[in-house]
Amino acid sequence: MKPLLASLLLLLMAKPIISAADAVAELAAFSVFDKVDINALAKSDVKTEKVPPMSNARFLAVQSCYVTSGAPAKQIEALRQWNPTKHRELKIFLHSDLPRSPSTADFSKLKNAPDNGSVRTLVADTEKMSSDLQISREEAKKFSSGGEKGGGGAMPAPVAAFWADLLNARARSFASGGTSAQSPYDHTGEAIKPGDELNGLLKQQDKIRRQFSVFLGETGIGRGAGSLGPELYWELLDVDDKGVLTLGASYSRAGGAGTYQAADVLYYASGGYYVALTLYQMWPVSADGKPSTLVWRGDMISSASLASLHGVERLASEGAMMKDISKAVTAFRKDTGR
Amino acid sequence: MRIFSRLAFIRAAGTALFFVAVPIFAEETNSSFDWFKPFSSLSGEYTAEETYVSDADVRRGNRAIHDFDESDTILRFVLTPRVKFGVLRLGIEWEHFSFGFPDRTPLPNTLQEISAIIGLDMRLSDSILLRIESQPGFYGTNNFDFNQMNAPFIAGGTYIYNPNLQFILGVSVDVEREYPVIPAAGIRWKIARQWVINAVLPQPRLEYEATKNLTLYGGGNIKQTNFRVDDDFGNEHGKPALNHAVLTYSEARAGIGADWKIAPSLTLTAEAGYQPYRDFDFYRAEVRFHEDGSSPYGMISLHGAF
Repeated sequence: MKPLLASLLLLLMAKPIISAADAVAELAAFSVFDKVDINALAKSDVKTEKVPPMSNARFLAVQSCYVTSGAPAKQIEALRQWNPTKHRELKIFLHSDLPRSPSTADFSKLKNAPDNGSVRTLVADTEKMSSDLQISREEAKKFSSGGEKGGGGAMPAPVAAFWADLLNARARSFASGGTSAQSPYDHTGEAIKPGDELNGLLKQQDKIRRQFSVFLGETGIGRGAGSLGPELYWELLDVDDKGVLTLGASYSRAGGAGTYQAADVLYYASGGYYVALTLYQMWPVSADGKPSTLVWRGDMISSASLASLHGVERLASEGAMMKDISKAVTAFRKDTGR
Repeated sequence: MRIFSRLAFIRAAGTALFFVAVPIFAEETNSSFDWFKPFSSLSGEYTAEETYVSDADVRRGNRAIHDFDESDTILRFVLTPRVKFGVLRLGIEWEHFSFGFPDRTPLPNTLQEISAIIGLDMRLSDSILLRIESQPGFYGTNNFDFNQMNAPFIAGGTYIYNPNLQFILGVSVDVEREYPVIPAAGIRWKIARQWVINAVLPQPRLEYEATKNLTLYGGGNIKQTNFRVDDDFGNEHGKPALNHAVLTYSEARAGIGADWKIAPSLTLTAEAGYQPYRDFDFYRAEVRFHEDGSSPYGMISLHGAF
């Protein structure tokens, strides 16, 4: 019995690492990466590929994979800690984490919005309640341009207060009811619902949907609030020279044999895009004898602007998306020394 | 953990391809009615354009031709299906120049071409797009015959430096032209939120996006096509050397205009200006008529992509 017991103990104590072949096979089963050489990938830049065109012209998706040193748990922690705002080229003006039960005070940084053309455009659109604003009709009725004009920054107090209330209400409804509870963007004249857009993106990528179905079932992505607790945040960023306020949530979950799955969803945006979703699958692998992580990343987005792209425009858009993601992953790996 | 892409691709990196008349830049529109919705399973582009030039003069030595007008009609339809290697371009184009010359003018009063459009757009990398396109067809005068067949083509690439700046490089090849291979370069630069310098042949422009559906511009349009005249054209005009000769017709226009996006797949363009350059050149026979003073013109066009 002793050798058997020892073997069982050794098995339990063994580091959860799966074979590279298994990881590569699983990657090939649901992604566009049919064949990956882990040792070669560990020495190269991120590999990025477009996915076959989706039937909804608003949708665009790109997949990428790379190998980085350290175990998946470290990768998840590094992603959690990484601050993209220091990279000016990413054009994220403000970022703030939110508690699970946010209040309007958590959006007080809006008063410190930088005075630039993008923010001025957002302010102008807000003051005239432009149909470009992706809000609901009910939300639009709540804007009042009267009262206090000062704001101490580029954003006048009524504008900052309007957005703080709106973002707070949407963040709270996400925390309690997932993306299904999000109001439509019907002020634009199109009854776009963020939850439907996310479901549409996943529905058109069936292999990915199946790979992440259990995990996504525990999140608030494309459904009601899940059992997994989200990390909530909001940002003020630039999309095509326009200021955009966005709400996001991140989830991660450990799987078997040291694997991890993670998701980052932008479930609300005041303009530029309807929703965006990034999914991660991470496997512990050995690259040149060192503990490493094989990372697959799937980026998908829904945007009204994408629907107006045709022919070579679409090619250009895919190329730009692939380039942006490569740059962002490279910046992350550089910052985290991987 | 955050999505750390800057989402610039949403606007598709306003891009242009060498010798492509339409600068490609995705513009969101709030026009709700899509005329091409029934054809949503197809993708393509179309143009219907008419230009009228009046009070034109050309001269060859002491021989002057005064006060003639010109009508330039273009109809173009191109399907752009997605294939594994990129985007195919399969279509047809008809361009018809009609000149109101006085009697006994040694120039054809009609120049026209009808050609197929066969091309491919490819993405060589994240930053480089390539277009190769040929227009095999008939390039003649009033009547077409097989001697008037030609197949000019272009090959050009765009380097997308970033969503606001692209560089374009390419060549135009036409064996009937005096100089068969012409290289060219261009730049497309979004200098501010509403301003774009689109210095790309054949239609360099400075564009101002006045509203989401209205773009104002000032710029030019440079045209050059080779046509073969009829077998007895020279005999009929007292110059046998012009029988079956190749005529290179060139013109340049400079003007201001407006693009009004009526629907997602329908744009109306109106333009007016002056034509400072025009040239009829039977270069092999060394017979050339050149512009003798500018002429006003007006253009109207319906075009779009679906």
